Amino acid sequence: MVSTATTCPFCACGCGFFLLAKNGEAAGVAPGESHPVSAGKLCARGWCAHEAPSWGSRLLRPMIRRNRRLEPVPWNEALDHVAGRLRELIAAGKPVGVLGSARATNEENYLAGRLARAGLRTNHVDFCYHSQCRPLLAGIEDVTGGSTRPIALRDIESCDAVVLVEGDLAKTHPRAAASVLKARTRGARLIAIGCARTQMARVASRFLQVAPGSEGEAINALLAAALRAAGEEKQAARCAGYDALRGDLQAVSATDEIREAAEWIAAAERAAFLIGPSAGCGDASRKTAAVIATLAAVTGHLGGPGSGLLPLLGRSNARGACDVGLAPDRLPGYEPIEDGEARRRVESVWGKALPSGAGLDADRMIENVSGLVVLADDPAAVLSAGQRARAAIERIEFLVALDAFVTPVVEAAHAVLPVASFAETEGTVTNMEARIQRVRPAGPLPGDAVEGWRALAELSARLGAGGTWNSAADVFHEIERAAPRYGGTAARIFDGGWGSALTEMPEAVRFNVQAAATQELTTAERPFVLAWDGAFDWGGDPLVSFSPTLSRDSQSERKLFPNGFVEMSGDDADALGVRAGWQVKLGSARGEAIVPIRRRDGLRRGTLLAPYAFRDCLAGVLADEGITAVQVERA
Amino acid sequence: MQPLVLTIAKRDIAQWVGALLESGKVIAPVRGPCGEAAFCRIESPEEPLWEFENPLAPPKQFLLPQTDPIVAIRRNGGVTTVAPIYDDAPRILLNVRPCDVRGIAFLTRMHEMEPADASYLRRRANFTLIALACHVPCRLGFCVCSDSGPFLSGGYDVQLTDLGERYLAETGSEKGEAAIGHASGLFRPASEEEVAQRQRLETVARGRFGDQTCHFASAMRRISTRRVDDALWEQMGDWCLECGGCNFICPTCYCFSVKDRGGDGRWTRCRMWDSCQYGAFTLEASGHNPRAQRGERMKRRFFHKVSAQYYVRDGATGCVGCGRCIKVCLGGTDMPAVVAAIRRRAWHEQ
Repeated sequence: MVSTATTCPFCACGCGFFLLAKNGEAAGVAPGESHPVSAGKLCARGWCAHEAPSWGSRLLRPMIRRNRRLEPVPWNEALDHVAGRLRELIAAGKPVGVLGSARATNEENYLAGRLARAGLRTNHVDFCYHSQCRPLLAGIEDVTGGSTRPIALRDIESCDAVVLVEGDLAKTHPRAAASVLKARTRGARLIAIGCARTQMARVASRFLQVAPGSEGEAINALLAAALRAAGEEKQAARCAGYDALRGDLQAVSATDEIREAAEWIAAAERAAFLIGPSAGCGDASRKTAAVIATLAAVTGHLGGPGSGLLPLLGRSNARGACDVGLAPDRLPGYEPIEDGEARRRVESVWGKALPSGAGLDADRMIENVSGLVVLADDPAAVLSAGQRARAAIERIEFLVALDAFVTPVVEAAHAVLPVASFAETEGTVTNMEARIQRVRPAGPLPGDAVEGWRALAELSARLGAGGTWNSAADVFHEIERAAPRYGGTAARIFDGGWGSALTEMPEAVRFNVQAAATQELTTAERPFVLAWDGAFDWGGDPLVSFSPTLSRDSQSERKLFPNGFVEMSGDDADALGVRAGWQVKLGSARGEAIVPIRRRDGLRRGTLLAPYAFRDCLAGVLADEGITAVQVERA
Repeated sequence: MQPLVLTIAKRDIAQWVGALLESGKVIAPVRGPCGEAAFCRIESPEEPLWEFENPLAPPKQFLLPQTDPIVAIRRNGGVTTVAPIYDDAPRILLNVRPCDVRGIAFLTRMHEMEPADASYLRRRANFTLIALACHVPCRLGFCVCSDSGPFLSGGYDVQLTDLGERYLAETGSEKGEAAIGHASGLFRPASEEEVAQRQRLETVARGRFGDQTCHFASAMRRISTRRVDDALWEQMGDWCLECGGCNFICPTCYCFSVKDRGGDGRWTRCRMWDSCQYGAFTLEASGHNPRAQRGERMKRRFFHKVSAQYYVRDGATGCVGCGRCIKVCLGGTDMPAVVAAIRRRAWHEQ
């Protein structure tokens, strides 16, 4: 039994564990007490992390599609073919793009971005999960004026107040939920805002139940009450737009329970504000993120030690993917593509002139490019477009998939390059606290697979953008130069032990505060709000779908509800005269759909939630907007 | 058979470990790359730790691995053969703490019940357990509450006690005598004073337990007679994040699921750790789940661990007081916290 200290590949909490391998195969997990994030605690996903690499369908040979069939070929032939076809497309004036992944390492994502910009000469570069988390990060930036240091999970434990804008934290980020529970046992006040009485809402000191999409309204009320409670303009000097904010909130009234909650926040020595992405509803979730950041700023909990905001990113390396420049309008360092200084820096590191102008994001890329390189991801499983993304991918003239697992993208690809899973690769990932951590190989690469960074380096070399990297660490050293916030971290990361370093991030000092715009979604004719529940479906991720233990829930749900379902409060179901499993007809401005219901205790009346995994079943009534008003009747 | 009571000088211990290494695979706590102690197969006599906090992962992984191939299945033409996979390698578990020895005894008792589990039992039969008594109790341990430590009165092959300059070695079986026999020249019979010193150390250790206590008897009365309100289980269920860590880390938990892997006519059936705290653990094919709520699952877990019904069957509580669940539990619903809540009839106050 060989034991390897590594980082969990699931959510962006970034827990660490020892991956145990027997005869070269991942066979178990042991917790590590000294890990700076997890300290010996893991969630179910972490405890079962060894399963997917050893039980999953693995890609073992490079393959090229010939006569509609993928045929194994030697590596050189596959790489030459991929480079040649991409060059042909570019020469013919057709657009090409690259999608990295929130499941890939920083080194892989950095080289994917570099391949696009320096090799393919395009800014069509992104990662699919970016579609889900971009509005959230943008909303925070709107207030802080740039990236700002998130609060660390362990610091949440010593907060006096925690504000949680809920998805379902206990399910999405159990390690973060553990920190909130720890704070709660120490006597912290927990204010949960959401539409369903989730586990966290049940242990909260105050649960503000609101319709999906109306979180901003509740936060506005908290904000109005907090401004009154915070005394005379303590933070005004640091907040641009403070007077306008006061004006906007003049008319907002607060109930006693909101006023009390606002007092808890205002009086707290330390407070944490946790918010996750919501699927679709881009602009609305950007506004919600901005107003929660505003609440943190005006109560003096932003830009100081021990307090702060935490964007709850769903997948392990979403932040790292942003940091290394996997965005059509950002460079390594997450700096705007038009920033002259950043451009010069990256150009000098790469020795290449950068293409200018923002490229296409993931959603548009799959619809518009003729050649696409997809690293470790399945766009249809991540993007809100679902099966429409699948159809778009299948129309692409030349699709290249680099993955460890046999995913639907691999089945549609024209060229397949097998790369290592997290269990066999060397590299780093960056968690949602902005902590860079090591990923280490616990066993040998299966079949002819190579480490992802090596495959991308070979491809880059063939497209005139090669480098002199001999290891993942060499790539990291280059990232240090290209993305300044990673600079100087290598010494701590390659120091043995867990290898963990917080990135250099500025503390915001001035804020652009703003209230949330509120709007009524429902009408007399369509009195229900239908929204997606969650912004990511683990059941569609190979790390879960290939794990015998972890896939049980999602598989049984898919078996029991092949046509999806919506969740409805028991009171609403009784009022409509429908029982669990019965069908209802939903009608929105977009169209109609008939689906069975499940009763959900503690769901707000007038709310219907559709699991993100089943978004395709409801595409007739609800699509990219992520939230809509519907009429409901018994079918 | 009269147990041997011997001593060995600390300076000779590596030589003994060297002799043990020649007789089989030796597993012992070693200092891992991140600074913590972990059970690991050793290659050299200097590796084992002699002063250490008990590793967070118990040695269960070596007796009942998280992924354990148990059956080889072959199909050749129309003929399918099914052959059990046994692991008969001799292994010595060195410096295992009393709580973990009791944990292994618990696992063995369960696997001996009809139908006996040959896969586990054959592996277990080839294990020699060399225990190291705890003359200083660990920070979160409460083995004294479940009669699992700090010293053992039986169940070991050899029990070592740190006497300062020397270790006292008590044998508990022929396997233990054989383990000492590999280097019998290094041992000499213990003096009366040395035996008395061991007794004193045990008495002192029993008085030095720390913050954690676990009053099993009164919790057992309430659990066994259904006098724990469902509302309390439901409330505690809200603090359970369903990680399964309490099961995986518990020296006495053994629940598993079975999965086949392979293809092209060759499959391996594996036993894999499972957790009774996972929603899908009791999920039936119809979609019905007899324990759909977290509180119900937690109630089931503690009924198995602490009820009189199981105490009678197993001869022990399903808890050896190692305190590991306190470290791994995400929500703080560990054994002492739940037992205390049951006695108090309330989860923590806010």
